[in-house]
Amino acid sequence: MKERKVIICHYLILSIWALIALFPVWTMLVNSFKKQLDIFKNPFVFPISPNFDAYLYVFRESNFLLYCWNTLLITVVSIVCVLFIGSLAAYALVNWKGLGSKFIYLLFLAGIMIPIRLGTINIFQIIRSMNLMGSVYGLIPVYIAWGLPMAVFILTTFIQDLPGELMESASLDGASKLRIYSAITIPLIRPALGTVAIFNLINIWNDIWFPLIFNLKEDQRTLLLGVTYFFGTYQTDWSKVLVVLTLATLPVLLLYMIMSKQFIKGLTAGSVKG
Amino acid sequence: MKQKVSVNTLGALPTKMKRKRDCWFLYTIPALIIYIWFMAFPLFNSMRLSLYTGSGFVPSHFVGLKNYVDLFTNPFFRDRLVGAIIHTGILFAICMGIQNTLGLAFANILSGSLKGSSIYRTIIFLPATLSILVTGFLWRLILNPNWGAVNQVLAMLGMTRFSNYPWLGDPKVAMIIVGLVTAWQWVGIPTMIFLAGFQGIPEDLYEAANIDGASRRQVFWKIKAPLLIPVVGLVSILTFVGNFNSFDNVFALENPNGAPDYSTDIMGTLFYRIGIAGQNPIGEPNMGVGASIATVIFFILLTGVTFWMISQNRNNKKFE
Amino acid sequence: MKKVRLVVFLLVLISLISIAATSTGFGADKVTLTIGSWRVDDVESIGKVLAAFTQKYPNIQIKFNPTNPPDYNAVLRTQLTGGSGPDLMYLRSFKISADLFKDGFIAPLTDMTALKQNYTEGNLSPWTNDKGVIYGLPFMAVSHGIYYNSNLFKKYKINVPTTWQQLIIAAKKLKAAGIIPFANGSKEQWDMNEIVFMNLLPDFIGGRSSRLEYETGKVPFNDAKMVAAFQAIKDIAPYLPAGQEGVSYYDAQQLFLLGKAAMFFGGSWDVAIFEKAAPDFEWGVFATPASVGRKTVVCFHPDCGIGINKTSKFQKEARLFLEWLTTKQAAQILADEIPGFYPLSKTGAALKIKSAHASQFLAISNGKETDLRFDWPVLMDAPQGKTDGYNLTQNAALAVAKGAMTPKQAADFVQDGLEQWYAPTQHFKK
Repeated sequence: MKERKVIICHYLILSIWALIALFPVWTMLVNSFKKQLDIFKNPFVFPISPNFDAYLYVFRESNFLLYCWNTLLITVVSIVCVLFIGSLAAYALVNWKGLGSKFIYLLFLAGIMIPIRLGTINIFQIIRSMNLMGSVYGLIPVYIAWGLPMAVFILTTFIQDLPGELMESASLDGASKLRIYSAITIPLIRPALGTVAIFNLINIWNDIWFPLIFNLKEDQRTLLLGVTYFFGTYQTDWSKVLVVLTLATLPVLLLYMIMSKQFIKGLTAGSVKG
Repeated sequence: MKQKVSVNTLGALPTKMKRKRDCWFLYTIPALIIYIWFMAFPLFNSMRLSLYTGSGFVPSHFVGLKNYVDLFTNPFFRDRLVGAIIHTGILFAICMGIQNTLGLAFANILSGSLKGSSIYRTIIFLPATLSILVTGFLWRLILNPNWGAVNQVLAMLGMTRFSNYPWLGDPKVAMIIVGLVTAWQWVGIPTMIFLAGFQGIPEDLYEAANIDGASRRQVFWKIKAPLLIPVVGLVSILTFVGNFNSFDNVFALENPNGAPDYSTDIMGTLFYRIGIAGQNPIGEPNMGVGASIATVIFFILLTGVTFWMISQNRNNKKFE
Repeated sequence: MKKVRLVVFLLVLISLISIAATSTGFGADKVTLTIGSWRVDDVESIGKVLAAFTQKYPNIQIKFNPTNPPDYNAVLRTQLTGGSGPDLMYLRSFKISADLFKDGFIAPLTDMTALKQNYTEGNLSPWTNDKGVIYGLPFMAVSHGIYYNSNLFKKYKINVPTTWQQLIIAAKKLKAAGIIPFANGSKEQWDMNEIVFMNLLPDFIGGRSSRLEYETGKVPFNDAKMVAAFQAIKDIAPYLPAGQEGVSYYDAQQLFLLGKAAMFFGGSWDVAIFEKAAPDFEWGVFATPASVGRKTVVCFHPDCGIGINKTSKFQKEARLFLEWLTTKQAAQILADEIPGFYPLSKTGAALKIKSAHASQFLAISNGKETDLRFDWPVLMDAPQGKTDGYNLTQNAALAVAKGAMTPKQAADFVQDGLEQWYAPTQHFKK
């Protein structure tokens, strides 16, 4: 009997929190289907007759799709680079026994603890000297550098745990290091690569600091920077703002929902080992 | 559970291949180049900039420690710096006390064999996938004094005193509210880390406890808690680093001034306002002082991380 | 694993498409200039103005690229230092743009004869440096006043107030009836200073000549008139929305448009927003009234100029645009399309404006003295590490509004702060 009470109590706690966690998202969704004045009259209930005008307007009149491209482009390129470069380094750091390896590993570990933002002033100058100021491409190297420490950290943990016999037999067959890396290591650490990818996806997709500071030009903006400008332009028209927010959020949200099981598995496996 | 910085041998290649050490180095070069070029070097160079001044793009006039003297003695900077350190401290306290405690509680519940726990897990982590810019806007709507849901609910519960309360406009509570929203957003991270910690506790310990007839509470305090101490350390240090680095939460809920009355001015906004954007309405940044603020943040973080590493080592010794 | 493969495949596909999509070029002869601005609300209306220009000069297209008002100054400066600034840019009056010019970001315009022909020296002064170099075209001015909901005024039998005392009585009456008298709040801080305090200040201290007395150090910034101005903030504080500290500028506009608040301290720039929102009541505007026995002075501010980026590749085209803006045709289009912004050119001043509300707003200063915003001309020029006059009056007004300072303390706070760096007033130091 007591056990049952405890379980009910647990469900209660989780359900209350689930409500709190989902309430803002709910607010965003329901109000995006309302007309301006209805939002303020009763902000938190579902609209009686959903209104899609704001959605149509945003797709027709704003640069929303362009900003989507920009964000996707830099996100994909950065993540692919982080995965490739990071896994190469992790593969080497696991196998390379020596002081140098330890030092490099610690160097990357420090990067998890020290936020990249502290170097902003200098990064700004470097990007400027590369003539990338105002361009969305200037974000890519910064995002790669930002994502690498975590990638190296999670991936080394995973590669360490791979069964050694596989490598052994492969190397006895005369496979080269690079071949072992591409044919054995990479396929085996895919779940970890997925985790790293989602981690970076969330960070990059939601980053506002660097786009704000690099002052992206109008046609170079990321989705979220576009959203901040949209705030200003249509602050008096909340239904449009909420539509933009909904649309800016959905891609990451959907991807997270689809991959949440794997993501959480990778996350929990990676986080405690270090 | 042990915190291993060294690299173990399980997934390593057979010894025959390990002789050519410098060859392994090649694999790390691309990562090192980008990492050093865009992260490590700018970090150190920013510290160097804190010794320079100048109104142009690159501070070029060497002034020694003048920026630091200014930062610590000119009331214009000093009062804001002290305020920012205190407010970031409040933020950290709230995140430790609420976000991480909740995370521990959730992880404890979720680690049991509860039906549907994966759905709850997904929901708890969900806010962390959203941009704080988005959630900040939504919370501003929910906390609005005129049409916000929070005040409507409180009024419904009979607390009419709060029916028009400016949660984000009252300097007495604004920082706490910002802290709570931050905790709401990130609670999924400690939950997942603690969950991993719980999963790392060997089954047979529970079984032994069950045979001895231990209660849930006893199991938690006697078995789980001691084994979780290193995880608590990890979560704490991640929270610490995250808080001293945060900016978006105040930017989205208030403004870069740390409104109202600088009561939500944290290290991130101070750095942004002075070093990068400049104070409204002129918007002329003082990169030298900004770099010195970044350096101060760096040393605060360094102190925290060192402290963590020392306590970690002590813990490790205890368990070995 | 299939999922991962699918996702990777999709991502690669998307990136390929987007690379293909970006590689299409556009026509050769036409040039496109960008114009930076803080007028985010004007995207549609300024589009028509720019289209009119392109009609006349088919080869030049100008794109309007606004930034949120509170971020504009910082963003523009970083853009310019970062080399990614717009070709043309809206210029704030006085200090902010003067600094940009001093740092070499703005091209001088002294040789543009159309400027001196079409604008008075007074209107050129916010964009002229101390050596007489002009670097900005006086574009538009804004006026400050109080919007009111005519239906509510009628319902509660309130006449448009002509003295400050009447205004407060009206507010009292409205509050008793359960209506929010003034919609304004202070969540964003600048709103209390720019929208409310700058608005009412000239009524209490007087016009230009009185302002110069403060600026030249004849009177201190904590004299009785300044205390009276802060007292005015205290007067209206009980009649702001409950929880005004949490009410943003946009919330305030919304409260007025929803008919929940009867009045709104605002500027002529709100006309376009209110006209577009088309609330279901009649609304108008009146001059913020002075106390009994004092003359009402309207705050009328040459708010924005336009300058040319010194490093722009399109100097010739940019100058063509500015010269076009000095013409009567341009002034008419501007006044009609962007209601609430008044052309500053000599011919523009006499125009008839299409929007009834905008011309009503302009008419409130008929027969009255006007002066510009108090903080702008000299008080922003603080050195690094000192608080400028804008932030001083802002923090003082905010503190009075929520009862943290008395009006006297607020005025003393401003004087103390300015004594730190503003030489003309330092001789009052005790």
